[in-house]
Amino acid sequence: MSCTLVTRLLRRYVSVAQTAGYIIAALVGLSIVLSAVQFYRDASGLFDSDTAMGRDYLVLSKQIGLNKRDASFTAEELASLESQPWVDSIGAFTASRFRASIGVDFAGKGMTTEAFFESIPDEFFDRLPDDWHFSPATGEVPIVLSRDYLALYNFGFAASRGLPTLRESEIGLIPLVITLTDRNGSRVRMRGHVAGFSSRINTIAVPEEFMKWANDNFGNGADAMPARVVVRVNTPGDPAINTYMERNGLEIAGDKADNSTAAYFLRVATAAVSAIGAVISALALFILLLSMYLLLQKNRDKLHQMMLLGYSPTQVSVPYVIFIVVVNAAVWILACAATALVSTLWRKALATLSVAPAGMWPTLLAGAGIMCVLSVVCIIAVRTTIRKDF
Amino acid sequence: MIEKIELKGLLPRVFSGTRPGGEVWLHDIEFVRGTRYLVEAASGTGKSSLCSFIYGNRRDFEGTILFDGRDVSRLSIEDWCRLRCRSLGILPQEMRLFPELTVMENIQLKNRLTDYKSEAQIHALLEEMEIDDKSGSPAALLSIGQQQRVALVRALCQPFDFLLLDEPVSHLDSRNNMRAAAMVEREARAQGAGVIVTSVGNHLAINDFTPIKL
Repeated sequence: MSCTLVTRLLRRYVSVAQTAGYIIAALVGLSIVLSAVQFYRDASGLFDSDTAMGRDYLVLSKQIGLNKRDASFTAEELASLESQPWVDSIGAFTASRFRASIGVDFAGKGMTTEAFFESIPDEFFDRLPDDWHFSPATGEVPIVLSRDYLALYNFGFAASRGLPTLRESEIGLIPLVITLTDRNGSRVRMRGHVAGFSSRINTIAVPEEFMKWANDNFGNGADAMPARVVVRVNTPGDPAINTYMERNGLEIAGDKADNSTAAYFLRVATAAVSAIGAVISALALFILLLSMYLLLQKNRDKLHQMMLLGYSPTQVSVPYVIFIVVVNAAVWILACAATALVSTLWRKALATLSVAPAGMWPTLLAGAGIMCVLSVVCIIAVRTTIRKDF
Repeated sequence: MIEKIELKGLLPRVFSGTRPGGEVWLHDIEFVRGTRYLVEAASGTGKSSLCSFIYGNRRDFEGTILFDGRDVSRLSIEDWCRLRCRSLGILPQEMRLFPELTVMENIQLKNRLTDYKSEAQIHALLEEMEIDDKSGSPAALLSIGQQQRVALVRALCQPFDFLLLDEPVSHLDSRNNMRAAAMVEREARAQGAGVIVTSVGNHLAINDFTPIKL
């Protein structure tokens, strides 16, 4: 009865018009923010996971032309690249400086091909195989292949030669024979296997330990500068990247540049729309705060009288806390429904592009987080005001 | 529990710079638990202010108020809330009932906080004050005298070490005065509490009080 009495006394003067105004404003603001976030999450499926995660790996090389015979980066060029604000870190490709061939006894047919290897620091791999290490004692060389190579084999080579197509998991089971030849012509045969595939690195990659050992023991002695580098970019699609590439005659491998630019604009657009939603939400918060201040002002004498009876500021703030929580919960539920409704507009289009939409829960939970923050701000304001009047 | 309330050099700020007469302002006096005090003064000399200062409702005074040696200016909001539920009862001069609530609701608003009296006991107290038939009526419809009796019953719905009664019978006839005095005396004795009553002339009819001239 006491709680009901307190509520009855202190809820008086709650303005329906002000409450409705807040609900509409907060609903519009939160719906815009959540829709923008959900659109970003859904549309991110159009890009690879690196780009969508807000980071990117670009493989750079110099443009090759008739007048440009030396494709290696100089130490100054690498330092310049590393100092760019959009660069998080760079890793140099170390190329093999020895002759090598890879042989395979495959479906009764022996094949051998001249080969090359490259290595990059481990941190630049999208997924490192478990056995990604090399020891001269065991002599087993793990290899990571570009997925493009497997596609070339399956859809180009195997089809034309009547060979079976292979899945990634099967290739690892095929033993390889790697033959290294030093500059004097002496050969060493080693065992190898395909330990994994990479979408990021377009090469035949071996562990850096192997590359150092092999270059030291079989190399031609020259300590060459890298011709390719992999760059971890912290602002994918940043227009400054393309400007830098053009000015310095560099090329980005694959379609990363276009992809990154599209992702960049998606992020910018999402941020802009979210900002508009956030501003509307902030204005809605001000409406709620003003409304609560007005309500507290109108009930000031009652609040004071109740505290004279012995009620604590926390106890007399309960009806207002419940009011704030219920109203904000209603806004959250309505905004979730609005976001779900609006997202059907683009999900149909994405479905035609075979892009699976992202789940809605993270977005809805983000909305709950925003409303929790708004509620906490408002509750603190109410309690502070009441304590001042004690 | 508060055994003793001490006032040291107390003076309402509105009287600052003056030297009012009487035995309270600018003097050191103490109120002891279990004793009855009658603070008499003419209107406008600060009787309600004294009650408000002791009850922690107003802080616009110079000097010090001590509860068992503890300076009240150091009490937190939570401390005051606890004291108002367990140690200090008050009947303000202006009654401060909520007009939109019924008589019983007004009393229960306090009693539910302290959980001190049963509903039957409250009815008995209202009966004693001859207003139990009004327990379902909104306070707004009561006469001033009836409101004063309801506010008195509400003030008794809590444990207290000191009960502050600010002109509690100013609107009561002598018969109701006697009833109110008997009720206050009984409740205070049961709790071993002190009673501080202010008056401009129509005294609460309790015996054996210590008179104090404000």
